[in-house]
Amino acid sequence: MATAVASPTFLSSAFAPRHHRRLTRLAGPRRAAPVGLAVRCEKSDKQKRQPLSALVPREQRFMFEGDELCGPDIWNTTWYPKAADHVTTEKTWYVVDATDKILGRLASTIAVHIRGKNEPTYTPSVDMGAFVIVVNAEKVAVSGKKRSQKLYRRHSGRPGGMKEETFDQLQKRIPERIVEHAVRGMLPKGRLGRRLFTHLKVYKGAEHPHEAQKPVPLPIRDKRIQKTG
Amino acid sequence: MDYMEGGKLFRRSSNWKMNKGKIFKLAKGFRGRAKNCIRIARERVEKALQYSYRDRHNKKRDMRSLWVERINSGTRLHGVNYGKFMHGLMKENIQLNRKVLSELSMHEPYSFKALVDVSAHHFQGTGLSKRRV
Repeated sequence: MATAVASPTFLSSAFAPRHHRRLTRLAGPRRAAPVGLAVRCEKSDKQKRQPLSALVPREQRFMFEGDELCGPDIWNTTWYPKAADHVTTEKTWYVVDATDKILGRLASTIAVHIRGKNEPTYTPSVDMGAFVIVVNAEKVAVSGKKRSQKLYRRHSGRPGGMKEETFDQLQKRIPERIVEHAVRGMLPKGRLGRRLFTHLKVYKGAEHPHEAQKPVPLPIRDKRIQKTG
Repeated sequence: MDYMEGGKLFRRSSNWKMNKGKIFKLAKGFRGRAKNCIRIARERVEKALQYSYRDRHNKKRDMRSLWVERINSGTRLHGVNYGKFMHGLMKENIQLNRKVLSELSMHEPYSFKALVDVSAHHFQGTGLSKRRV
């Protein structure tokens, strides 16, 4: 008995010690998401998270088998979001102050959050991102001589209809357009990209009308985004 | 003369009426005249079968890149990037494939955090570049 128990562990420790430990750690019980780490695609799976094995007493479990007993196999099939997983009213809202932030770096961060690429539930064909509010858009900064040299071009469609203006001219005229132009260039082009762009809200002053959505500050990891000097 | 495509036998015969029914069956849901008129339907169906051949092979590639993207964002939430994470897993001889890893990162956050901690032994620092969100 003692030797029978000892020999498998001896063998396993000789050949694949860590592998054996990892298997037992990973086969841990499935828990509902406690505070701290969220299970991010819960919403459509809520009904399925209580498998029969939790409700049926041990003696009667032989009456069920397979999927009925343990719940559907969600670990070996690639998850695709259902409608309940991307309801617009339950999306996060972020707010960011653009004062003295480098334009491109800010736009990149915003685009990542709008598209949903920071979440493990990212799906390219579905809008899984968040809303982003930008305030103080007229104070966004650029480095070097871009303020007087960066050109914004548009064309009316007619011959000779190209119009250009520099960064500071556009900033005086319509400052929101600068941030919008930057972010639109970083979002995907197409039907979904156009819808994602509507999730960006840019405002000129420090006020925004979205207090009811309780926006949280946008987490920014870029260390060079703040313009110094 | 005869050739197989899409599991169906296409006969190259002067009498087009022979496999018209098969073509129209495959052309269901096509736009405009491509679902009703044989000359156009035949072209579109041949193209559709070519695309389906190509995309059966592409689908495997696309799914794997989706898993990699999901694992990447899952590990970055814990401060590690995908490359260092996979390197650490390979060193520890954890042979979980990317499909399962991506599902773990979504459905089983605690197990995934344990995996990230396991792979963290094999590199200095966090592996997360300073600029990434």
